[in-house]
Amino acid sequence: MMKDAPLELPKKAILDNYEMCEGLYDEIFDANQNAREHYKILVEDFGKLKPEDYTKLNDYAKISFFNQGITFAVYSESLKGVERIFPFDLMPRIIAAKEWEHVEKGLIQRNLAINHFLYDIYHDKKILRDKVVPADLVFSSNFYVREMIGINPPGNIYTHICGTDIIRHNDGHYYVLEDNVRCPSGVSYVLSNRETMKKVFSNGFLHHDVRSIDDYPHQLLEMMVSMAPEGVDDPTCVVMSPGMYNSAYYEHSFLAQNMGIQLVEGRDLFVDKNFVYMKTIHGPTKIDVIYRRVDDEFIDPLCFRAGSYLGVPGLMSAYRAGNVTLINAPGTGVADDKAVYIYMPDIIRYYLNEEPILKNVRTYRCELEEDYRFVMENMHNLVVKPVDESGGYGILIGSRASQEELEEFRTLITGNRRKYIAQPIMSLSVHGTFIESESAFEQRHIDLRTFSLMSKDKQFVLKGGLSRVALTRGSLVVNSSQGGGSKDTWVLEE
Amino acid sequence: MLSRIANSLFWMGRYLERVEHTARYIKVHYYSELDAPLDSKEEFIFESIMTMIDEDMKITGDGELKEKQLLFSITLDEKNPASIISGIGYARENARGARDSISSELWGGINRFYHFINGYSEEDLHKEGIHVLCDRITEHCSIVNGYIDNTLLHNEAWSLIRLGIHVERAFQITRILYSKVKDIQSLQKQYLSKSMESYECVTMLKSAEAFDMSKIYYRGVPNIREALEFLILNRNFPKSICYNLRHIHHAVEKIATSKQHHAGSIEFKVGKLFNTYEYLTIEDIEKRDIPEFLNDTLLDLFEIAQGLEEKYLSN
Repeated sequence: MMKDAPLELPKKAILDNYEMCEGLYDEIFDANQNAREHYKILVEDFGKLKPEDYTKLNDYAKISFFNQGITFAVYSESLKGVERIFPFDLMPRIIAAKEWEHVEKGLIQRNLAINHFLYDIYHDKKILRDKVVPADLVFSSNFYVREMIGINPPGNIYTHICGTDIIRHNDGHYYVLEDNVRCPSGVSYVLSNRETMKKVFSNGFLHHDVRSIDDYPHQLLEMMVSMAPEGVDDPTCVVMSPGMYNSAYYEHSFLAQNMGIQLVEGRDLFVDKNFVYMKTIHGPTKIDVIYRRVDDEFIDPLCFRAGSYLGVPGLMSAYRAGNVTLINAPGTGVADDKAVYIYMPDIIRYYLNEEPILKNVRTYRCELEEDYRFVMENMHNLVVKPVDESGGYGILIGSRASQEELEEFRTLITGNRRKYIAQPIMSLSVHGTFIESESAFEQRHIDLRTFSLMSKDKQFVLKGGLSRVALTRGSLVVNSSQGGGSKDTWVLEE
Repeated sequence: MLSRIANSLFWMGRYLERVEHTARYIKVHYYSELDAPLDSKEEFIFESIMTMIDEDMKITGDGELKEKQLLFSITLDEKNPASIISGIGYARENARGARDSISSELWGGINRFYHFINGYSEEDLHKEGIHVLCDRITEHCSIVNGYIDNTLLHNEAWSLIRLGIHVERAFQITRILYSKVKDIQSLQKQYLSKSMESYECVTMLKSAEAFDMSKIYYRGVPNIREALEFLILNRNFPKSICYNLRHIHHAVEKIATSKQHHAGSIEFKVGKLFNTYEYLTIEDIEKRDIPEFLNDTLLDLFEIAQGLEEKYLSN
């Protein structure tokens, strides 16, 4: 690969005409266009590449994803639809050791606090009685699950897996944008991206001390095993998927395969006398721990949505009896409600008696009179988000919206003030990203989805995570469902 | 092993085998019979391909157009559930449903196969000719089969895939023999053509990739009797009915919960059928009407496939 490149510097390399926009935080270069310390070697490596060299590597990466079946279907005239790969950018995002240490500490702190919070609101509700978090906000959340009141999950752990989204603002600081504590997805792409990068860009790994990420499936399984119901020594663990036609099916099968455990669907399971079994060719086999990638409202038609075929009738009852562990616990969604997010710094202080390490974005709660008026008047400078959606749906970016759209959102908010929050438009940091149509690197906004695991006495944070890229120039929406791409993320050794 | 996964693995094996068989059959019939000692060659070729692969096929054109339509329909037509492209699609869909039970290498092999056939256009087909496509398909099948045998733990999952493969192969071979024997009988009735009979015999052996090995075994080109003996009873040739029954038996034994089979159970039936064939001679078969014998074999295979579905593969 790199060895074939000519030794003298080519006339026009891919990074030569890199344009920098003022007022943005570029991850690679400082304001004087000098590569930041931890990017120096990478910039040198990439600086030698000509567009045609790069295209070759890029094509190889694409074929590799395609053949592994890491694709999604786009509907078309043909019967099956065309399969596309998720856009992937070969230039990795690098996080220096010191900086990562800070992020990791912040994530662990936040997740511990969230877990305390969940235990509390399903038990004594101290934080509500002390009026640190308004009680009506918690009880009015769509994700507050009354069936969870008084239940003690093993080890009192609710959020075994967190997918916190963080960004770097143009002030250079990291902020938490969202706490995803229901069924966060994306970790399979982190692992597959790394596999592909190692094949395509092996020199980069020889020149850097990149922290390894491939023990994630092992850590995940270890966590699941440790969460077995009391008295079960050698638990049977499974991953539960809504099925092959779910958009995250690749991830579900990837995780099951990498942990070496069964991937099941609701129809493979049944409950008998409060124990959960799967239907095997040799008859029923009891299962003990379920990493379910099915949302709360679909897991048990007897308890939640009655028409759900994805779930298992009686599952909640088996869970309440302590005969099966669900990962994550039901009812965690109340903690990633975007209005509850506002109170996260207070929640951290309340339970841990510590100052929050990662910053929270200033958030306006439209339910409060003062905030509501502010949002109505300043909507063109704000991002408006529904509190209970994910995947970047239902969001309004005020600065890019037309008069009609702003008006439409004013009506929406006034009609259901609990449902909306607003935030200043954060300037997500930018990273050099190869734009095929220009055959050159350009700045694009990025965020970082992190992945943390929590068991009784152990916290694990995957080194790095999924750096998501908004591929449209100037766009701040990085979600893959909205045309975002991704990058490998390198956390360096000290 | 989940019953649903078992079902996917079994059908993955069946579809893969069916695709391989279809490609081989088309290739052999299309090319061997181009110089067959017959007057209406085209009709005969199309007729035999259609009976074997897709009896419901509706072909409207004539002459060259008919040939193009037929070849497209059995290979690349997504709307035809019996086409090769559909078969590969089903195999991949089943593999995807059982993704966590198979190796990345096997999945990658099937996935590349799928993308290969989906990237192959009708123009490519008519430009390059049917043999290029069929050769590539056969190659992909061999690669996938290699991954099945060499990257999987030879446990239940592998046994279920093999079970699907051998059940499908036993069906296909029996059907070929049945239709060829019928063809030969009708030729004999019409105008007893000895050259045509040996011609059909060779095509039959080639359709099962058995021509070379049968020549070695019989030290010369086999006659029709030897060809039938080879394809029905040879214990060591991987395409013979007897060989496949033995492997169905092996696979079922590996999957079965208990080793004690009561009479009437599916395991019992499989064992009995296999053992009957092991100790059968071509003379025994000749004492009966051969097409009737082969038809009974088909019925036995149906009964077994159904029994397996009921016992192991349905929820």
